[in-house]
Amino acid sequence: MSITVVGVNHRTAPLDVRERFAHGPREIPASLERVLAAGARGGVLLSTCNRTEFYLNDPDDSAPEAVWTLLSERLGGARRASEYGYTQRDREAVRHLYRVSAGLDSMILGETQIQGQVRDAWELSKAQAGPALHRLFQSALLVGARVRSETGLAAGAASAPSAAVAVAAKIFTHLAGRSALILGAGDMAELAATCLASEGVRVTLVANRTYERAKAIAEELRARALTLDEAWDHFADTDIVLCSTAAPHAVVTWDRVAPAVARRGGRPLCILDLAVPRDVDPAVAQLENVFLYDIDDLQAVAAQAAVQRRGDIPAAEHIVSEEVERFWAWYGGLAVVPVLKELRDQMERVRADEVARALHRMHLSPEDRAQLEHFSQALLNKFLHQPTVALKEAAGAGRGYGLLEALKRLFGLGPRDDA
Amino acid sequence: MIPVLHLIALGLYAVGTAFVLAPFAGLRAAPRALTLAVPLLGMGAHVIGLARLTPFVGVAPTLSMLALFLVLLQVASEGLFRASAVGVFTGPLATGLVGLALLIGLTPEGLPSTARGPWSILHITVSVLGLAMLALAFIAAALYLLQFRELKARRFGQVFRLFPPLERLDQLNHLSLVLGFPTVTLGVLLGFGVRYAGGASVDAAQVVWGMLTWLVLGWAVGVRVVRHWAGRRAAFASIATFAAVLLVYVALKLAAPGTQRFL
Repeated sequence: MSITVVGVNHRTAPLDVRERFAHGPREIPASLERVLAAGARGGVLLSTCNRTEFYLNDPDDSAPEAVWTLLSERLGGARRASEYGYTQRDREAVRHLYRVSAGLDSMILGETQIQGQVRDAWELSKAQAGPALHRLFQSALLVGARVRSETGLAAGAASAPSAAVAVAAKIFTHLAGRSALILGAGDMAELAATCLASEGVRVTLVANRTYERAKAIAEELRARALTLDEAWDHFADTDIVLCSTAAPHAVVTWDRVAPAVARRGGRPLCILDLAVPRDVDPAVAQLENVFLYDIDDLQAVAAQAAVQRRGDIPAAEHIVSEEVERFWAWYGGLAVVPVLKELRDQMERVRADEVARALHRMHLSPEDRAQLEHFSQALLNKFLHQPTVALKEAAGAGRGYGLLEALKRLFGLGPRDDA
Repeated sequence: MIPVLHLIALGLYAVGTAFVLAPFAGLRAAPRALTLAVPLLGMGAHVIGLARLTPFVGVAPTLSMLALFLVLLQVASEGLFRASAVGVFTGPLATGLVGLALLIGLTPEGLPSTARGPWSILHITVSVLGLAMLALAFIAAALYLLQFRELKARRFGQVFRLFPPLERLDQLNHLSLVLGFPTVTLGVLLGFGVRYAGGASVDAAQVVWGMLTWLVLGWAVGVRVVRHWAGRRAAFASIATFAAVLLVYVALKLAAPGTQRFL
């Protein structure tokens, strides 16, 4: 009986490989079915843009090969998927999932999105997970929640787009319902707009040097398209401006926006200049109630949060270790029951055979035969009592797994976890 | 018993202040429930201590009551506005005021033994509450200006992280002034009532200070509500208002020193 994780993540595989391994929700059941057919008793597939991991309850250790074969097919046969991945077993597999759920294994340390992705993976694989993985994923979600509430691992904004949200949130009481204007068509502005939209900000206007490009983005965001020259007047009524044009010089200048800003009546305006070179003339920051931040500022906010988060890694790892031991104690107890039953059945077969052989040689009265049966049964019970009690006690204390393996080896019971 | 209750309040306010200041010192923030519960417990002891205080005369009881209302407004700011940074000012201030009241003596000897009437007590209570609201408007304005400076200068340190958003501080300032003005107005009216109808002795300095407070607070509310001042300009107006009220009190107190009368 073994818990195994087989997969790749952002540290072991480049993006083009991870893209090929990524599974959509509809693909998950079929892939799991294939891996379970190789001998695993349960499986959960966690597939995000940064990782594809199969969590398996795999007593025969036969499923990892099936996983690598399945993933290698997605590479087109030229390369082996196992070159990009890892296999971890037992405690280390449990620790791995807990670290993933807590955000300790994420590209952006402590990010919270992974918690939802772990939950989704569990939900999608529930029918194929089996009791041990069911319990493992349930506890992983609790570990993630515990790490986030008891440590500062998820505090602050640790990426430039999320820093844009953090900065805007220090100006406005609520971001929900605020209006945003996007200048330009850069990827960073789109990313930041997505982050702001997740907080309820409405992108109402998109302006670009070429109107057609502005229109294309505006349609995606359900906003109104403008040319750059039309945009300056809207600095009077918008709350957040995201700049990301490809212009080689500043396009947002004092002269262009000062008249509109003067009409704001003291309401703050947050300008996030995400372009390199910068789109906004630094002099614009001198306007009353205008708060201007460029990409360096946002990266400084993100870096600060990352430093703070790193300081909380030991506390988070401590929680993970605690929870791994707790799970392993439960899991060890779960494994004891079938092995004890198998041991008892095996001993009972030996006893029955030996008694039958003895009775065949001896000519005893029915009363004496019953006495001998009873004696052999009592002897077997006495022999098995102490090992049973010791194993149950060890399992209860989380130390059952080693004893269990020894027992299986000594008495030739069931499949063994040799890892 | 009264000093003991005040000492308990003092201790709990000090602990509450430590909770508020801890994140600024780089320590982990205390759970929000605790930052609310500890000052509330202190307020419980404080209210019982103040209720037993007779006669309610002199500087010390007024300072003690001001501290109580400051803590009340601190808890309300945290509970309603999530503005725990208000406690950076109100915590040490309230703790210091209770300590000062204990040092002065809550029931000093040689005071007139006649107890104040209920209208007089109500006048004092409402006036001190109005003053605490003016202090809260000042604190919100000060926090606003600090956060404004950090945001403009693109500094992302403790103030950026731990102070509330600018707009929220502006709203807190607005609400404190708008609720503070009718409270002070009622306090002034009750003062006139006590003087002319109740026959109690009200000093001229109290009238001057009370009227000045009412007028400058009225001006601060006027520029916010009628002329729609907001943000930095409104913050400066609140600070000027509070400074004027405080300076005139100090001047009047220096003219007639002593701890047996508030003014």
